[in-house]
Amino acid sequence: MARSWLEYKAPAWVQWCPGCGDFGILNAIYRAVAELDIPPERLVVVGGIGCSGRTTFYVKGSNAHALHGRAIPMATGIKLARPELTVIVAGGDGDLLGIGGGHFVALGRRNVDITVILFDNAVYGLTKGQAAPTLPAWIKTKALTSPNIHDNVNPVLLAFSAGYTFVARGYAYHTSQLKELIKTAVRHKGASFIDVLQPCPTYNNVMTNKWYEERIYYVGEDYDPIIRTREDFKEKLPAIMEKLLEFGDRIPLGILYWDQTKDSFEERLEKIMPGYMQAPPGTRRISVDGRPIVDPFEVFKDRVIVT
Amino acid sequence: MTDLNIIIGGPQGGGIESAGQIAVKSLVLKGYNILGSREYHSNIMGAHSYYHLRAKEDKPGSLTLPVDALLALDAETVLTHYREVRPGGIVVYDPAVKATRVDSIQPMAPPLKERVKKDLESRGLPTTAEGALKAMESEGVKLVGLPLKAMLRKVSEEAKAPIASVSKTVNTLGLSAMLYMLGVEPGYIEKAISLQFAGKEKVIRMNVAAARIAVEYVREVYGEPEVLPDGPHKGKVRMVASGNDLVAMGKIVAGVGFLSYYPITPSSDEALYLERHKYVKLDDGMAEKVGYDRLSVVAVQMEDELASINAAIGAALAGARSSTTTSGPGYSLMNEGISLAVEAEVPIVVTLWMRAGPSTGMPTRTGQQDLLHSIFSGHGDAPKIVIASGDHVEAFYDAIKAFNWAEIFQSPVIHLLDKYLASAMASLDREELDLSKVVIDRGKLVDNPGEGYLRYKITEDGISPRARIGDAVMYMTGLEHTEDGKATEDPVAREQMMFKRERKMRKVLEVLPEEDKAVLYGDPDADVTLVSFGSTKGVILDAMKMLEGKGVKANFLQIRLLSPFPEDLVADILSSAKKVITVELNLMGQLAFLLRAHTGVKPDSQVIKVNGRPIYDYEVVEGVLKALDGAGRVVVSGGS
Repeated sequence: MARSWLEYKAPAWVQWCPGCGDFGILNAIYRAVAELDIPPERLVVVGGIGCSGRTTFYVKGSNAHALHGRAIPMATGIKLARPELTVIVAGGDGDLLGIGGGHFVALGRRNVDITVILFDNAVYGLTKGQAAPTLPAWIKTKALTSPNIHDNVNPVLLAFSAGYTFVARGYAYHTSQLKELIKTAVRHKGASFIDVLQPCPTYNNVMTNKWYEERIYYVGEDYDPIIRTREDFKEKLPAIMEKLLEFGDRIPLGILYWDQTKDSFEERLEKIMPGYMQAPPGTRRISVDGRPIVDPFEVFKDRVIVT
Repeated sequence: MTDLNIIIGGPQGGGIESAGQIAVKSLVLKGYNILGSREYHSNIMGAHSYYHLRAKEDKPGSLTLPVDALLALDAETVLTHYREVRPGGIVVYDPAVKATRVDSIQPMAPPLKERVKKDLESRGLPTTAEGALKAMESEGVKLVGLPLKAMLRKVSEEAKAPIASVSKTVNTLGLSAMLYMLGVEPGYIEKAISLQFAGKEKVIRMNVAAARIAVEYVREVYGEPEVLPDGPHKGKVRMVASGNDLVAMGKIVAGVGFLSYYPITPSSDEALYLERHKYVKLDDGMAEKVGYDRLSVVAVQMEDELASINAAIGAALAGARSSTTTSGPGYSLMNEGISLAVEAEVPIVVTLWMRAGPSTGMPTRTGQQDLLHSIFSGHGDAPKIVIASGDHVEAFYDAIKAFNWAEIFQSPVIHLLDKYLASAMASLDREELDLSKVVIDRGKLVDNPGEGYLRYKITEDGISPRARIGDAVMYMTGLEHTEDGKATEDPVAREQMMFKRERKMRKVLEVLPEEDKAVLYGDPDADVTLVSFGSTKGVILDAMKMLEGKGVKANFLQIRLLSPFPEDLVADILSSAKKVITVELNLMGQLAFLLRAHTGVKPDSQVIKVNGRPIYDYEVVEGVLKALDGAGRVVVSGGS
């Protein structure tokens, strides 16, 4: 191991409540990027708005803190401008699946090589406990005036159907297992999604640590989520669907779906514009001695007329 | 002096755009300067659309009415434009449409039908295309009938192709007949056809056959017309491009690396043109200098405008020259992103092509209604740079300058244009797109920020050294922050950052040359000062000459930089103005509002136009004359 996780600990007061699941996720991120030996200046953590978004300031990296719901498009712009960087999105369920739901779907379609970590506590913490898109119907957490009458979205199934090529679920208090999931997700070349279940000890008084511990289990060695060919997909789909749909008395954790057959968006760009990766927009030179490098009369010949 | 004005009309999807472009190219080949614009409905097929163009020796700054020639490819065109042809002009039409009644034309707008019927009835004419043709004839317009069906049969024989496949040449038949009647030799028309359909040999063959058949027909029936003399611009390498094209060109010349967009009229054609040229092979010498041989621009169609602006912000943070393009409704969605770009000091360029609002309004029509929207966009005291281009040439250079300013001042730059400039084509000379005038200035961008880098370092001019994401440990955020980019709510740090951002805008006013702030055209001692912004520039300059002929000496103050507003410069110029008249295409008098807010000058009169059509030279003249007669607000309403 080349780096200590402490190298990634930014000098900042972490403002989360005592016992918050976010601490476990933060620790898992520190350890994963340390074990992957990513130089902090090459690591980009893009956070949304909410408790989870503050992760941006707690991990030493070259980080950006986005608007509410817009971490994914911002991360997409960063990654496509500098595809050599490691880009991780940290966001909550309200941020990624509520206000940012359209972008969550679009990232799957594009399969940009970004790892999305969903801090899934089923409530809006920072605005004092409103129901988030992952809160099941008829649960009444303490901040709600009446039980939740919205159904919950299934994040892993949504990610699968949107086209994410790596879909996993972790638990915030299981730091070492979560660390391994994050490492695999970051190594995967494509859009990766990890739904991290986490108790919110302040506002979610229903889905507590005890509630989760009674339900979660890790998928066994006999479960094979890896798609290597299109035939694989057909064959394994029923078992995969079963795991993706399971959320109730039992909640599966681990890698649920991993498609290794698809090109990332960057690879697709390279296919239509060979050389893109070698001279990406973020770092390529755009002038010589302060002068442009293209002449309109040479490049835009379709608009030139010789009279 | 030649001053040729033409309208080509027909159903959307009926080749009106290509007929317009062939006309433009023929006249450019003939040595003229042209200005041509397309008016169309928000519709794929069937609604009325027309191409309006003007050719002159010098540069036409304005389209105008009435025109010298109308090509009517259907009955609706005859009935829509019959009052827009000058006495002595011509109308080219198919006699088969004569019997068509106004009421039977489904796509025609009901209020227009009522106006037309009322007019024809008042003249004692039938409410049919024939009635409209008679109205024209009675005013001295020459009727040129073309039996298009029979002519198509001839094209089919000539090109050895079935009628169905040659039926698309109906626009070429009409256009060639009209251009020939106007004195354009067939050689130019045929060459323009070859340019228009370059690479499609079969299409060229069919259309050239159609052009010959049409010319032969009108020569037989109407005799040899007088040849139009050649214009002064022959033997040159020129460019004919739309405002959309020129902004895309400017972006590529400026080194854009990332363009995000969501489809919306009238910005889509800019994105489309940029996409067509997103992958450029550099010559060997240049490749060696820059270290790569293929220039690639990442152009991505996003899921919405929220994504577009935020992806553009991300790419800018990572060091790309980054841009997005939209129009009013999309810009509304981008507002929060603009505010983020101000707070996080992100250099992005947002190209805003104004169209007729509010709401979805008239998506394909023009207006200047987003001036205040652009300046005041973004919540929470979000100062930014807004530049409005007056014409095609400015659109090209401003697209480049916008990136320089974005990077120098680390600020969003809104490049304000409109639908009229978007779709208007203009002829340009090589000297007008002069690269020796173009500088690429990336401001305080640093390649090696080193240890202890502070993204938001407080400096005298408010501008901090800017490192790319990926080159240093740093934090960028839309939360208020300390110099290192960490979130803070400390009152002192907050105030420091607010004033830091304000200093940057002061610096803009200090650094930018006057020509990029406000420009006074004409005699400083004129009796009337017209004040405007954006695409009215050429129209007003043309109108000034016409006013001079009527004994009114006017000058024109074009305001280019709308934010931060160059108030000292503008106040100084207006202090000696005798009478101030604003000209703008919005209801509120948004520029008049800004003038009053920034300089205390209340315009004596306002000339406004809000019907979604571009303003014409004669309307400015009419507006000024009425204003001089004491009118406070003059509404002009020309165009179909």
